[in-house]
Amino acid sequence: MKKKTFNTAELICAVISLAVFFGIWHLGTRGELGKLMPGPLPVIEKFLQTLFGGKIGSSTLIVHVAYSLARVMAGYFIGAAVGIVLGLSMGWSPLIEAIFAPLFRIIRPIPPIAWIPISIIWIGLGEDAKIFLIFLASFCYVTQNAWSGAKNVDPEYMNAARMLGAGKSRILFTVVLPASIPPIFAGLQVALSSCWATVLAAEMVRSSEGLGWIIIAGMNNNDMNQIMTGILAIGLVGMMLSTIFRKVEARLCRWNRSEN
Amino acid sequence: MEQKRKLIECSNVSKTFQVPGGENQVVRDFNFVCQENEFICLFGPGQCGKTTLINLIAGFEMPTEGTIMVNGKRVTEPGPERGVVFQNITLFPWLTTMGNVEYGMKTAKVPKKERRERAQKYINLVGLQGFEQSYPIQLSGGMKQRVGIARAYSIEPEVMLMDEPFGALDAQTRYLMQEELQRIWQAEKRTVIFVTNNIEEAIYLADRILVLSNCPATIKKEYKIDLPRPRKYTSPEFLALRKEITSIVDKTL
Amino acid sequence: MRTKSKKRIYMAVSCMSVLAVLLMWYLLVDVMEITKSSVFPGLVKTFDTFLSKLVETKPDGATLGQHLLESLKVCLMGYSIGAILGIPLGIAMAWNKWCDWLVRPVFDLIRPVPGLAWTPMFILIFGIGIEAKAMVIFVNSFVACILNAYTGIRQTDDLHLWVGDVFGATEWQKLIKIAIPTATPMIFTGLRTALGGSWMALVAAEMLAASKGLGYMIQQARYISRPDLVIVGMLTIGVVGLILDTILHKIEIMVAKGMNAQ
Repeated sequence: MKKKTFNTAELICAVISLAVFFGIWHLGTRGELGKLMPGPLPVIEKFLQTLFGGKIGSSTLIVHVAYSLARVMAGYFIGAAVGIVLGLSMGWSPLIEAIFAPLFRIIRPIPPIAWIPISIIWIGLGEDAKIFLIFLASFCYVTQNAWSGAKNVDPEYMNAARMLGAGKSRILFTVVLPASIPPIFAGLQVALSSCWATVLAAEMVRSSEGLGWIIIAGMNNNDMNQIMTGILAIGLVGMMLSTIFRKVEARLCRWNRSEN
Repeated sequence: MEQKRKLIECSNVSKTFQVPGGENQVVRDFNFVCQENEFICLFGPGQCGKTTLINLIAGFEMPTEGTIMVNGKRVTEPGPERGVVFQNITLFPWLTTMGNVEYGMKTAKVPKKERRERAQKYINLVGLQGFEQSYPIQLSGGMKQRVGIARAYSIEPEVMLMDEPFGALDAQTRYLMQEELQRIWQAEKRTVIFVTNNIEEAIYLADRILVLSNCPATIKKEYKIDLPRPRKYTSPEFLALRKEITSIVDKTL
Repeated sequence: MRTKSKKRIYMAVSCMSVLAVLLMWYLLVDVMEITKSSVFPGLVKTFDTFLSKLVETKPDGATLGQHLLESLKVCLMGYSIGAILGIPLGIAMAWNKWCDWLVRPVFDLIRPVPGLAWTPMFILIFGIGIEAKAMVIFVNSFVACILNAYTGIRQTDDLHLWVGDVFGATEWQKLIKIAIPTATPMIFTGLRTALGGSWMALVAAEMLAASKGLGYMIQQARYISRPDLVIVGMLTIGVVGLILDTILHKIEIMVAKGMNAQ
C-alpha cells in the first residue's frame, strides 16, 4: 500500500469539491426547492443552536446523542461478549459447533431490524427491547467472525503448540484466541456500524428521544431542518465511533500491524 | 559408539494417505535406528515423504503400519520430549521472541525466574540478544528461524526434529545458519533428525546421511560421515562425498 | 474412516439440536400453554398461519407471495441502480487520483450516515411510494459498492502493473486486464454487503411507510397482536435474504473462476 501523503493539489481539489457541493445545495434551496429543503446554513445553525442550548422535543441534541449511544453501548458489549465466547467455542469444539451451528444459521439471516415487531410484543416498548435488538445486531456479526476465525487458525500453529506440550484448553487460550483476534475485530467493526443503524431504526419505530426519534419526529412535523440536523449528528457520531474503534484496534493488534 | 542408547526406532513404518480416487503411499517399509546425540540427515529428492516422516516421528500423524518408538515409548501424540523446528517456522506472531521461547516452559509450569533464565540462555545461544521484545514480524527470515530453534531447544527435548528449517532462506543466510546450527549443536548436544534436499547441508552437518528414494520414501543408502568438524565445503573429501551421493539420487522429479 | 463416522455423529447432534428446540417450543407452548397465544404462538399455529398466508389476503390486504414480490421489486431496483453507478465510480476513484481527490471529500461526508437514516427525508421529498424506499436502498448499495470497488482496485500489485508496462499495455488495458480482475473478489464482497444492507434497510423503510411488503406485513401483524404472522414474516425475510446471498455467492464463484482462467 502506498503511504498517504497530503499535497497541495489534493487540498485544492477537496476545497473545490466541498465548495461545489455546498454551493449547489445553498443555491438550489434558495428558490422553489427551499420550501421543501433547507440550505446548509440553516441546518448548521440549528445544529449549533440545539447542541447544548435549544431543545428538540424534550432535550438538547447532545442529550439525544447520549440516549442513542447509551443504548448502543449496552447492547453492543453484551452481544460482543456472548458472541466471542460462543463463536470461539464453536470454532474450537466440533460438538459445540454441531449443537449451535444450525440454530445460529436460522437466526443469522434475519436482519436485526426485522426483530422489532416481535420484540415489542415480547418485551414491550421500553429500553429492554431496544437493547435486545442491538444485542442481536452485535451478536450475529461477532459470533460469525469469531467462529470462522477460530476454525481457520493455521493448523501449523496448533502443531507447534502441541509439540511444546500444550493441551486442548491451553491451545484454546494461547493459540486459537490470539489468532482469532484480527477476524474478531473485523466482526466488531461491522457490528458497531450495524448496531448504530439498528438503534436508529428502533428509535424511529418506537421512542421519545434519541437521534432516530429526531429524524422521524421531523418527518411527522414536516420539519426538514430537524431531519437534516439529525442526519448531521448521526454522521458525526458514526464517524467518531469508527475513528475510536480503529485506534483501539491498532493498539490491540500491534503484532499484526503490517497486514493492516 | 556401540554402547550408546538407542533413542529412536522406526520399524516397518508405512504411511498411506486417502486421496480422492484412491490411495497415495508416501512412506514404505521404513526402518532405522538412531542413537543418542547422533545428527542424522534425511536427504532425498523433491517433496516426497520427508516431511511426512518428521510428522510421524513428531506424532502429528500416525503411521498406517509399523511402529515408532522414542526412548522406549511408542509415539501416539506430539510431546515436549520431541522438539520440532518447522519448515515454515510458525512462530506465534502475537508473541515476542521471549514469549515464543518461553511458551513451552510456561506450558510445563516452569517457575518464572528459571523460565526467564533458561529462555535467555537459549536466546543468547542462537545469538539474538537484544531482540527479546521484538515481534516475529519485525525479524528477518534467518532471525525467525533462530527463534524457532531456540523455542525447540527451550523445552530441552531428547530429540530435535528439523524439517528443512533453512529451506526458505537465501543462500547466504543458509550457509550462515548451517555454521550456527553446527556451533549450537556442539554447545548443546542433542539427537537431531534433520530433513534437507541440499546435499552440501547434509554433508556439512550430519554424522549419518540416509539417502531416501523417490516416493514412496524408503532408505536407498546410508552414509557415515567421519570428517572432522568444522567441515570445509571445499575439502577434497567433502567434494568426493558430494559427488558420490549426488550420483545415486533419483534424478526424476 | 474414523473421521467419517465422527462426521455422521455430529450431523445427528445437529439434527437433534434443531428438533429439541422445536419440541420444546411445541411442548411448552402448544401442550402446556405456558404463555398466551397473543404473545408466543404455538408451533402448529405458526405453521398453519404460514400455509394459509400463502393464499389468504387477510389481515393486511395481500398474500405472503405478493408482499414478497413487492419487497423484492423495490429492493432489487434500488440495489441494482446503486451497484451500476457505485462500482464504476469506485473504480474510477481508485484509478484516477483527480477523480479521487474531487469525489472523496463529499463521499466521506455522506458515508458515515447509515442508509436507513435517510428514510424520513426521502419520505418527505418523495412521499410514501416506491421512490422513497428505492432511494434509501440506492444510497445503501451505492456507498458499499464504491467502498469495496475502491479498496479492491487499490489492492492491485504494483508488480502486476509493471508486467503490463513491460508488455506495452495502455492505461486502459492495464485497468481492464489487471486491476479489475484483481478487484473482482472485493467487488463481490461489496455487492454482497450491499445486498444484505439493502434488504435490512428495505424492511426498516417498509415498517415506517408502506402499504405492502414484508416489513409492512410484520408491522401490521404487530399492531393487531398476531405474533404468529410476525414470526412467519421474519423467517421469510431471513430465508429470502439467505437465498439472495447464496445466488450472489454462486455468481461470484463462476465469475472469479473465469477471471482466474484468463
